[in-house]
Amino acid sequence: MARGFRRKGHGRNTTYAARLDPLERATVAGLMDQVHDLLDPPAPVPEGGDDFASIVAGLGMGVTVAAEDQADLDPDAAERDPALDRLLPTANRQDDEMAAEFRRLTETGLRQRKAAALQTAADALRGEDRLVLDPAQAQALLVALTDVRLVLGERMGLRTDDDVAVLEAAAERLDPDDPLGYALAMYDFLTWLQETLASAMLDG
Amino acid sequence: MSLAPVQEEVTATGGDVAPDTPWITIVWNDPVNLMSYVTLVLQQHFGYSRSKAEKLMMDVHTQGRAVVANGTREAMEADTEALHGYGLWATFQKDD
Repeated sequence: MARGFRRKGHGRNTTYAARLDPLERATVAGLMDQVHDLLDPPAPVPEGGDDFASIVAGLGMGVTVAAEDQADLDPDAAERDPALDRLLPTANRQDDEMAAEFRRLTETGLRQRKAAALQTAADALRGEDRLVLDPAQAQALLVALTDVRLVLGERMGLRTDDDVAVLEAAAERLDPDDPLGYALAMYDFLTWLQETLASAMLDG
Repeated sequence: MSLAPVQEEVTATGGDVAPDTPWITIVWNDPVNLMSYVTLVLQQHFGYSRSKAEKLMMDVHTQGRAVVANGTREAMEADTEALHGYGLWATFQKDD
């Protein structure tokens, strides 16, 4: 049974402690890996490297988060993963040119910083059940939890406050095997975990 | 992302805005970001007091958006980039 974050100590000696069981830690770290790869896609398999992977990629069967993102690297590609638009939203709603310039100047750096925070957070989760984070690790986890929740929320159609009630009502009628139920349970768990961490950090 | 004391993170915002720099940074409401988190981010990035950060957060929550800073275009772009780093739905624009 998970226990949320609490603040310990003061000043430089401040830590944030929580307890998550191995399955919870592995699941959350796995989601962070996925969002990491969405922001910083692994290098494509080189020609002649892995023949089977190349064949699958060539047939368009390798439908993964990373593969979707490849299209995003082509400026002419109309298809951009909506979750990326949530992680890296339009910065100016009145002037498309300014928005494009902002994206050109900031996107690479934002992707790198977000990916680094997700990596730090995932690494911290792969330690012990009793998590004891220093302030830098806590900050990375806090931001990483946001990015994972943004992607999960987008995947579940959570775009306005009204969608929350719609989704919760739909969840009541879900088949027990529906993956949406699992996604929603994960989302709620991440929300709870982030709330305990944000509250502990606010009190500091 | 650092956890430096908030006092060290004050950016060129607030009451010292010259008339020729009418740019603003807006944070828009979204269903994912937590009220506690938005408050913490506004405190960390802008160095706002808890009460000012909470008031702006409530404006975002109840009115759908809030102007969280004003200043030069460059400063507003930097704020927007930082807030995107935190996962907030921020934009910059000329203050019409």
